[in-house]
Amino acid sequence: MKKLSVVLIAMIGVAIWLLTTASDDMSTYSTFMDASLSGKKVKVVGQLSKDKEMYYDPGKDPNYFSFYVKDNDGLEKKVVLLAEKPRDFELSEQIVITGKMKGEEFVASDMLMKCPSKYKDEEVYIKGAQG
Amino acid sequence: MDSIQYIGEHLLPGQIGQIAALFAFVASSLAAVAYYFATQKQDTSEADNWLFIGRSAFVAHGLGIFVVIGIIFYIMLNQHYEYQYVQAHVSEDLPLRYIFSAFWEGQEGSFLLWMFWHIVLGMILMVTAKKWEAPTLSVLALVQVILGSMILGLYVTEELRVGSSPLLLLRETMNAPIFNNADYLSLVKGNGLNPALQNYWMTIHPPTLFLGFASTVVPFCFAIAGLWTKQHKAWLKPALRWSLFSAGILGTGILMGGAWAYEALNFGGYWACDPVENASLVPWLILLAGIHSNLIANATGHSVRTSYIFYILTFLFVLYSTFLTRSGALGETSVHAFTEMGLETQLIILMSTFFILGFGLFAIRSKSIPSPVKEEATPSREFWMFIGTLVLLFSSILITGSTSLPIYNKIRQVFDPVFEGIVIDDANVHYNKYQLWIAVFIASLSGIAQYLRYREVNFGKYARRFATHLGIALAITAVLTYLFSLWINLHSWQYTVLLATCLFAIVSNLDSFISFSKGNKKAVGAALSHIGFGVMIIGVLASSLNKTVISSDPFAMQGLFEGATTETFKKNIVLLKNNKTFMDDYEVTYVSDETEKHIRTFYLNFKQRDEAGNVTEEFMLDPNILYSKDFTKIDYTNPATKHYLAKDVFTHITSLSKEEIDPEYAKTVEDSLEYTAFDVEIGEVFPLFDTIKLDNLDTAIVRTYQAEILEVKKQNATHIDYVAEEGDLTIGAKVRVSFEDSVYYANPILVLRGQFLYSFPDKVNALTTKIKIDETIFDRLFVAESDLEYETFSIKQGESFQYKGHKLTFIGFDKNPAHPAYDREEGDIAVSAIIGIDDKYEAKPLYLIRGNRPFNLKDEVADLGLHLRFASIDPKTESMEIMLAKQNTVNTRIPLAITTDSPRSDYIVLQAIEFQGINLFWLGSVVMLLGLFFSMWQKRIEN
Repeated sequence: MKKLSVVLIAMIGVAIWLLTTASDDMSTYSTFMDASLSGKKVKVVGQLSKDKEMYYDPGKDPNYFSFYVKDNDGLEKKVVLLAEKPRDFELSEQIVITGKMKGEEFVASDMLMKCPSKYKDEEVYIKGAQG
Repeated sequence: MDSIQYIGEHLLPGQIGQIAALFAFVASSLAAVAYYFATQKQDTSEADNWLFIGRSAFVAHGLGIFVVIGIIFYIMLNQHYEYQYVQAHVSEDLPLRYIFSAFWEGQEGSFLLWMFWHIVLGMILMVTAKKWEAPTLSVLALVQVILGSMILGLYVTEELRVGSSPLLLLRETMNAPIFNNADYLSLVKGNGLNPALQNYWMTIHPPTLFLGFASTVVPFCFAIAGLWTKQHKAWLKPALRWSLFSAGILGTGILMGGAWAYEALNFGGYWACDPVENASLVPWLILLAGIHSNLIANATGHSVRTSYIFYILTFLFVLYSTFLTRSGALGETSVHAFTEMGLETQLIILMSTFFILGFGLFAIRSKSIPSPVKEEATPSREFWMFIGTLVLLFSSILITGSTSLPIYNKIRQVFDPVFEGIVIDDANVHYNKYQLWIAVFIASLSGIAQYLRYREVNFGKYARRFATHLGIALAITAVLTYLFSLWINLHSWQYTVLLATCLFAIVSNLDSFISFSKGNKKAVGAALSHIGFGVMIIGVLASSLNKTVISSDPFAMQGLFEGATTETFKKNIVLLKNNKTFMDDYEVTYVSDETEKHIRTFYLNFKQRDEAGNVTEEFMLDPNILYSKDFTKIDYTNPATKHYLAKDVFTHITSLSKEEIDPEYAKTVEDSLEYTAFDVEIGEVFPLFDTIKLDNLDTAIVRTYQAEILEVKKQNATHIDYVAEEGDLTIGAKVRVSFEDSVYYANPILVLRGQFLYSFPDKVNALTTKIKIDETIFDRLFVAESDLEYETFSIKQGESFQYKGHKLTFIGFDKNPAHPAYDREEGDIAVSAIIGIDDKYEAKPLYLIRGNRPFNLKDEVADLGLHLRFASIDPKTESMEIMLAKQNTVNTRIPLAITTDSPRSDYIVLQAIEFQGINLFWLGSVVMLLGLFFSMWQKRIEN
């Protein structure tokens, strides 16, 4: 057998091994229920409850921002983000938060928001005016 | 709705553009076919005719696309908002210099930019490729056919649309009641360019990156041409020059993206392992594998097959990254993916066409591709280089696998709708875990391979020299690794290994360049690239491992979150204006801020002191924020960075005070404040009492401040929030407030505009004191004319007379009079009388003839309550008539409303990060790219 074939086979072997270990880095999106049960750090997808209070007072604590999120099962929890309030937060449609449950609160260290594009935004606005 | 005759629309440019797009599409098809026959019938008499047709068609295609681009610029410059693309990307206030940025902000614009570069590259090939012109341009034209279809916007049936045209009208893209109005255009405004993109990076980064993407098509075209014409060796040389060029440009484009993210965006870094970033990196890695494989093939005849495969893959991965960013598949996981546009199917067709063309042709020709019978010798350069290319490919596959998770999820959800989809928990951790070892391999291979020779037949003789150099290099590496480990905090042994291999790459490449290549110009490129690579990775190590958030406040969050370390959270700190705050070993003061147009810049002073307290280092930083057009919210923030040779201090503002970001809250606070009324004379010192509750105690302390009105301005009072308009009446007070040794000034004003009264309070933030002028001041200072009883006197210049206990003297005339209520107009005859009162005051009432009509403008002496009007003038007697009135009671006291409970709002929330050794990253990257360009230049000269 050629040397290079040996190298190739070895690399493919390593690749397969790596890909199996890579699954440790991955997880499915969780719900608040999962987070309560497991107590582990998870990612939760949900919608911002726009009618509930959003609290951020940088004068008191610039790294404390709280709001309410309804997860995909419809369960609503208070979320505490240990960072500043992001710009255009009110506009976000979908939120992915990383963190864990602490008592009744979900303490998040990281957040990703999906905002509507400007173009869509306008469409919604115009349609709203129509109805 | 079709029957409506719309007003003011410019439909002609759109129609020309649509026709040009269609024309370009047809021309590229013709070019592809003509060049196909020119290749097939090579060396026959027909070939020349086909070549002529192909050239003409390709040039025509180019002209068509240029017309489309020109028309889009035309309608953008003229702000024809009837076009959706213009409405979405341009606005009235968009500076002209961002018109290019606005052009490629959208999907269609960036497709056109890509096609534009393909045309330019095609033209260069037409002139320089000689016998390769026909096959390469045939392939390139085919690429253009499919790309061109993306901007056609043709409806094949009601439902099925081919491409998305940038020239669609707004009313064609949406259905809204506004279009029932024939004059809807007068109501439409442009959306404008996203403020985050309004900087020069957006002007230079996309064209460079797209030239990089576009140029990968050339090695691909040569690979296909080689397979097609079975000239498996001849294509390698021209392909290499182009792939070096492409790798250099694409690398520059990617690096610019990193520099943009770091310098102008608030990402707090240059690379975030974002799927879109990864998607642009993968083709570059495979292209590098292709270049190395190509070098082996040129030198030894091995690796021709892999060269084919790598170049084909490079282009396919460019297409795949286009698919990822443009199909909307990454929507959830990336910050910079485009939104979907319904082009998914066409993008998949694009990828599969060239996948089938590339690998199909490779399979058919596979047998005819030559390769030496003899295997590579183990101690030969080609053997280790080849392994290196495999490692690069391997790296690409791993990145692609992880980046494609959203695609995997989507496919799996088709078969298993309950499947929720999996995501990577922490992208940086995930990628680093594997790419670290890739970098270790690449760095060591680049060092070892440089010591070896191509086609090694007699390693025995050479082994001694090899071992000596390797040994010395390893020894130097060990020493350097130790020294660097004193500077970089390496956390774990894996990083030590990486650092060591990178240093080895630098040392060995330098050594082999000096001792083996003896400074041969041919070897410069390779040496530069490899050394640059080593330096770059050390920069990555230093800047990410030694990155410290210096704005973290270690006391704020204790106990709130189990196991939370200061590093992970609490990245923000509050800076009160003019208060020293200690961050890490810096003493930071927010000194001042300044608002110009919509940009508010904050000036921060950073100091470092030695143990004796002497300032050893001092600098200013000026991060800023960009307000929205109506000042109601912050649209964007720009960081500011202090660059040192060995480190950077990076700052950006994450928030302003709650009152400034939340108008509703500000109103609640204002409504809850209890103001105390004061009625004081100018110059009178009066006390203010401030009750301060002590935290955790049931007691409070009372502080006493001294206040005094220094001055009252009845005209042209100014205030930071007040924009003057004609006809405004303003009153401003200058109030001094002092506490212990500190003195502060407040300048509240009142504005009467028509029927409305506006109050602009001012704040002494440090004393939580807010001062307003009470509106009753108007009644005191401005007496209604009807309440005054005027008496008329006639006097000559120099004369004096008595009026209600005051001595008035007519001093003289002022022929160039100034009066606060008077604006000079052409043809005015204006003069004012100078009247001295009690030898202490002076009044200058004004007399004016404008358009044959006399006017007079009064003056008053507020202290005395005297009102003076210059009624008429008698030139014969040189006397004037003056009207005088005196208020019954003169109240010169100033009514103020003051609270001492107004919370401080003069603070900013700052994030500050120290990046160690980030310059090594930039330096290394630039050196590596220079190496690529130098190699390309060298190959060109050899040719």
